[in-house]
Amino acid sequence: MDSAPSSGEITAPRSSLSVTFAVWNALFLREAVARLSATRGAWVLIVLEPVLHAGLMLFLYTVLRTRSVAGADVSVWLVLGLTGYFTVQNTFQRAMGAVDANKALFAYRQVRPIDTVIVRAGLEAVLGLLILIVLLGILAFLGHSVIPDSPMEAMLAYIGLMLCALGVGFILSVLSDLIPEAGNLMMFLFRPLYFLSGAIFPLSVIPVQYREWAFYNPFAHGLELLRSSFFPVYHAAPEANFKYLFWFGVVSIFFGLALQVRFARNLRAQ
Amino acid sequence: MIIVNNVHKRYQTPHGAGRWILKGVNISIPSKVSVGLVGRNGAGKSTLLNLIGGIDAPTRGTVERRCRVSWPMGYGGGLQGSLTGRQNAKFVSRLHGFDSPHAMAEKISYIQDFAELGSSFDEPVRTYSSGMKSRLQFGLSLAFDFDVYISDEATSAGDASFKKKASDAFQRIADRSGLIMVSHSDGTLRQFCQAGIWLHEGQAHWFDDIEDALKNYKDSISK
Repeated sequence: MDSAPSSGEITAPRSSLSVTFAVWNALFLREAVARLSATRGAWVLIVLEPVLHAGLMLFLYTVLRTRSVAGADVSVWLVLGLTGYFTVQNTFQRAMGAVDANKALFAYRQVRPIDTVIVRAGLEAVLGLLILIVLLGILAFLGHSVIPDSPMEAMLAYIGLMLCALGVGFILSVLSDLIPEAGNLMMFLFRPLYFLSGAIFPLSVIPVQYREWAFYNPFAHGLELLRSSFFPVYHAAPEANFKYLFWFGVVSIFFGLALQVRFARNLRAQ
Repeated sequence: MIIVNNVHKRYQTPHGAGRWILKGVNISIPSKVSVGLVGRNGAGKSTLLNLIGGIDAPTRGTVERRCRVSWPMGYGGGLQGSLTGRQNAKFVSRLHGFDSPHAMAEKISYIQDFAELGSSFDEPVRTYSSGMKSRLQFGLSLAFDFDVYISDEATSAGDASFKKKASDAFQRIADRSGLIMVSHSDGTLRQFCQAGIWLHEGQAHWFDDIEDALKNYKDSISK
């Protein structure tokens, strides 16, 4: 071992795209290991947290109130809303911290701040999907019908939600790095989203004249669409539509990318 | 060849833009030459290394890298504390495109042999002492072939046996590739470097002989 290993040398320059993919691959595995082994049994908690949350809400709903919400099976309805919402929240929250948490890795010039945000959002989207499948699997085992009525729409709704979360994550990551106080403030302002996105109550109960305000929130569209794709008979709020969801996603990603490019140098600075 | 063209650099501070650290640095560094960077504290040595290494961007001007340049060794960064030494090594291998099982195994075993960390190689890096960290960092940068290696005081850490090993490795690098190093030890600079760059008042001055760079530097501080 007197010299560096001879085979597999860095020879021809790699294309920008292949460098980027190598970075995403490396970062994704690194993030996944860090997320799932941060503490002892971290991966158990990642699944257990939404199970307990959904379980408690389910208890409140079924024992104290009702068994169906707007025509839907309340347990499936709650699991979709809660998992969907928490995946969105995790995505933009963790995307926001991505640049700061990975500053050490900017020592390698291949790693760009935006890579860390994209990879974190991607990891949360995958984890959220896995958790959703596990939870729906448990419900199926308990005898609920969990197969989406329209799988295509379910997939589109999930993708739309993730795109919006990614766009918001891009914007928040720049904002919180340039102005740390703004990041904290945004987290505070985003708290009510849990209610405003209809994670635990149907938005169709909001009186019509106020409902249009609630539907400026893209996540309200996404969750409502996700739910209506699962149930053949579901009285979704009529305001929910894919057009708004995807337009919000595209515009926020565009704006977020523009910010990332404009402030790339500031994000990279130690 | 690394071409530094009219580079200006200042940092953002909590009180607005800071002072200009580099004021129009123009310098061309050939690939196969070992260069020592000298200058007083705060003259911008590490700043220039970071710009050359591409981990920071100049405020004005350009840096062109027409060869493969390493990341700054001994930088202190580049290691993720929550991951083990092995996981960090895998990360860096993947980053540089060695993600096939065979190529990666070869890199990992090289790094493992060089760093001589024993069972600590599979412990989280945050449990490492500073000497152990620099062993790992050194192994990491040597495992990959570059035309020019850049080193920011990388030789200073570690115990006697590791210092010997590191200095042998540096000698091999100096013989085989280019090396740009910052060190506050004249001995280290004389040992490895032929040419020198003296950073003074935001300007860079090139000397074909490291002795001349050191002499100018010494004269400037004795005044």
